[in-house]
Formats: sequence, structure tokens, C-alpha cells
Amino acid sequence: MLPLASAPYTLPFVGPGTYLIFGIVLAPIYVMLAAWYLGKPSDSKSALLGVTYLAGLTTALWGGLFVATMVIKFAFF
Amino acid sequence: MSVDVTGVDRETLVRPIQSRSKYFLVALVAALAGIGVWLYFYTQQLQHGLIVTHLADWGSGGGVPWGLYIGAFIWWVGIAHGGIILSAAVRLLGMDTYQPVARMAELLTIAALTCAGIYILIHVGRPDRLVTSVLPAWPWRVHWSPLVWDVTVITAYFVLTATYLLLTIRYDIHRLRDRLPDRLEPLYKALMIGYSETEDKVVERMVWWLAFAIIIMAPLLLHGGVIPWLFALLPSMAGWAGGVQGPSFLSIALTSAVSGIIIIAAAFRYAYGWEELIPKPVFYGLSKWLGFFGLLFLWLQLQQVITGIFAAPTTLQHATEVKIATPIYWVAIGLVIAAEAYIFAAALKSSLFTIPRIVAVSVLVLVGTLVEKTLFVVEGLQHAHFQLYDGVPGVYVPSAVELSSVLGTVGIVVLFFLVVSKVIPVVELHAIEDDHEEVRD
Repeated sequence: MLPLASAPYTLPFVGPGTYLIFGIVLAPIYVMLAAWYLGKPSDSKSALLGVTYLAGLTTALWGGLFVATMVIKFAFF
Repeated sequence: MSVDVTGVDRETLVRPIQSRSKYFLVALVAALAGIGVWLYFYTQQLQHGLIVTHLADWGSGGGVPWGLYIGAFIWWVGIAHGGIILSAAVRLLGMDTYQPVARMAELLTIAALTCAGIYILIHVGRPDRLVTSVLPAWPWRVHWSPLVWDVTVITAYFVLTATYLLLTIRYDIHRLRDRLPDRLEPLYKALMIGYSETEDKVVERMVWWLAFAIIIMAPLLLHGGVIPWLFALLPSMAGWAGGVQGPSFLSIALTSAVSGIIIIAAAFRYAYGWEELIPKPVFYGLSKWLGFFGLLFLWLQLQQVITGIFAAPTTLQHATEVKIATPIYWVAIGLVIAAEAYIFAAALKSSLFTIPRIVAVSVLVLVGTLVEKTLFVVEGLQHAHFQLYDGVPGVYVPSAVELSSVLGTVGIVVLFFLVVSKVIPVVELHAIEDDHEEVRD
């Protein structure tokens, strides 16, 4: 049973999401990344381009939202 | 059934980029008008708070703090998931019939996910809450909170889909560069950075694996997993809880997405005279998939209703009785049944099949799935195990602010397609090449 209500009402760091999200849901991405570098035909330059897109888009998405948040903070509050 | 469009020339493919259509202007004005109406109402919400939607706190409309906003969020995420599944299936399963609409499906995914994100953004109240609430808490909450799982996988999904598009577009831009507008040269240069023809085979294989990841994640883990888990894991909401929500959400996603693709493909075909590029059999095939997924949707509704009323636990029985006593639920189901009837009739007698009719059917299906998902959210909240909301006055009726958001997000999707269709080909070059198999081996 998950200790959702156990004293002192703080949850352990590791929870169901640790296994579910990083172990199962994102597993196809790990396989994809491995396949980009292993097997043929592959080359590290194209794989790096793909990884750069993945990392760059994630950063651009949340970085952009962060910048917007800062603009809101300084413009309105 | 196979559709061969390899005889179509490249000029036809880039027609939306090179030509001006009066329909483009009409669609642009309509999209901007829809977005403008929504922005007017959204400004009211920003000024006065969520109270203008009746969704503030516990909700002033019968205890419903989640309403059309969350229903539409699920709806857009569903459309997004189904869109890319179709594109991935074309690549992985060799469903070449649908290659002419594969990129539109990818683009629909990006636009629809954006709209889903907008719904979260506008529903948290102050827009900066999306960052201030999520980012600092993410490293700790992702281990426990389905809401944070949701944010995580939607980000992953958006990034995967955009990467898929950015990798596949390089092949097309390189070969169509002389037909693309010079004023966008800096953009094309950025998209083509480091490109050489020798990468084609490698990138094709990378994209295959990307499609592999997407086709496993999207149906099984995202719209059949993390998204329904936002609701299905809550035992206190009888109408939400249970494993059937995974397949049920997925069936709605696929049904809505095929409807969306049919409408968009028909619009491009009509506006740019693409009868030879997106021939009628593509729509006929899509209609059969729509029929199949719609049937799954109805079957899973039947599962929920029968298990909810036959000998269910008291609260589930109550939630299900309320659901089947709600007239608009039967309107939603009726719309999908009507769509099924037409598709079935057209499958038996193909002369009944026309593109305007299947577009009309698709619109009806989209209305039906949006209504069903909104009802699912609202009634699930109203008929919880506990009676927390019983004292909240009023009944839930979507406010003008919420309704305008549907108009606005549809406008955003239309605007997205209008803009993108002026920059890149919305049909893959592979679709008209008869030698593209050589690239894949």
C-alpha cells in the first residue's frame, strides 16, 4: 500500500511516477535514442542533430514560458 | 486499396506556397475573427479572474471547477495523439494510401497539442502559474502527481512530433528549394543546417524509430495512459475511476483525429484543386477508419453504461444513472451513431459516398466527442463519492468565456495551417515520388 497518508504527511522522493514515467512511459524514447546511435545506417552527426532538436525544443518551450513569466512578473506585479 | 499519386508533379505539391487562393483569405479572416472573439473574452478573464467562467474555486455552477476547459483539453490532446498515430502508421506499416495526408496529420498534432497547452494555461488563472507552479516542483512531484506526469508526457510528445517534422522536412526542402519563396531563405537555411544527401538514409531510419516510439507511446501510454489516469486513478470520482477509461479515451482520440484529418485534407483539396494529389479513395479509406474507431467508441460507452447500471457500487450506479438521464449525452452518442450509419451505408453502396458528406459527418463526430468529454468531466465531478459540492448553488452551463475558447482554439489551428502551408509543403514529397522506397532500404 502506498504511504499516501502516513505521518508526517510528506511523500518519499521515489513514488509510482518514478517507475511509471521514467521506467515505462518514456521507455520507447530510450529505445529510439539507442537505435539512433546503434545499428546501420547511422551516423553520430545526424543522431546529434536529432538529440539537439529534442533538447533544444524542450528548452525553447519551457524557456520561452519562463521568459513570458518573467515579463508578466515585471510588467504587472 | 492503394492510391497512386506518383504521377503528380512538384508544381502541384507546392501550389499552396506559390498561389493565392480566395479561400485562403476567407479562412484567414474567419480564423482571426474567431481568435479575436476569444481574446476579447479571455481579456475579461484576465481582468476579473476565473469567476467570469463560473469555474473559480469549487465552481459557482453546481460545484464544477472543471468544465469545458478540461473537456476541450482532453479533446485537443486526443486529436493530437490520433493525428501523429496516423502519420506513424503510414511510415511503420506501409499504409501508403494515406501518405498524402500524413504530414497534415503531423501538423494537426502540433497545432492541437498547442491548443491543449493553451487550455491548461488559461485554466490555471494567472498564466505565469504554469511556470511558477510546475517548474520548481517538477523534480519532486513527477514521482507522485498524475498532473505532473501529464505535463511531462505532453512536453515529450510535442517535442517528439516537432522533431519528427523537422527531420522529415529537410529532404523536401532540399529538393523543392527552387520552388520555395526566397524571402524565407534564412528560415530554410536554419532548417537545413548541416544537410547533405548522404544523410537521407540515416535520417529515414531515425524517423522510423521516432515513429516507433510515437506509435507505442501515443495510444498505449499517453492517450490510453497518462491522460485518462488524470481521472481514472481517482476513486473518489465514481464516473472517472476505472481501467476502462484508457481504451475509452483512446477510442475518442482516434475517432476525433480521423475526423480532423478528413476536414483539413478536404479543405486543402477544395482550396487548391488537389483532386489528383488527395484523391477520393483516400477519404473513402479514412471514412472506414472513422467508422471503425467510432464503433470502438460506442462499444466502450456501452461497457461503461452496462457495468455502471447493472449491479454497480452505489456511487457508480448513481453517476451512470445521471449520465444516461442527461439528454445531451444522447445527443453526443446520437451524432456518432448517425456518423456510423452513414459510413456503413457508404461502405455497402459506394455511390452514397461523397467528400462533402464525410466532412459533414466528421464535424458531427467532433461535436459529439467534445460534448461527451465535457460531460465526462462535469458529471464526474458533480457525482463524487463525497458530498462536498452538494451545497454549491447553480447548475453548470458553459459560459460565453469558455465557449469562445473553442472558437479561438479552432481559429488558432486554422491560422497555423494557413501560415505553415505558405512555408513548407503540407504533403510529403515522398507521396509523389515513385522511387522513395530506395531511400528507405
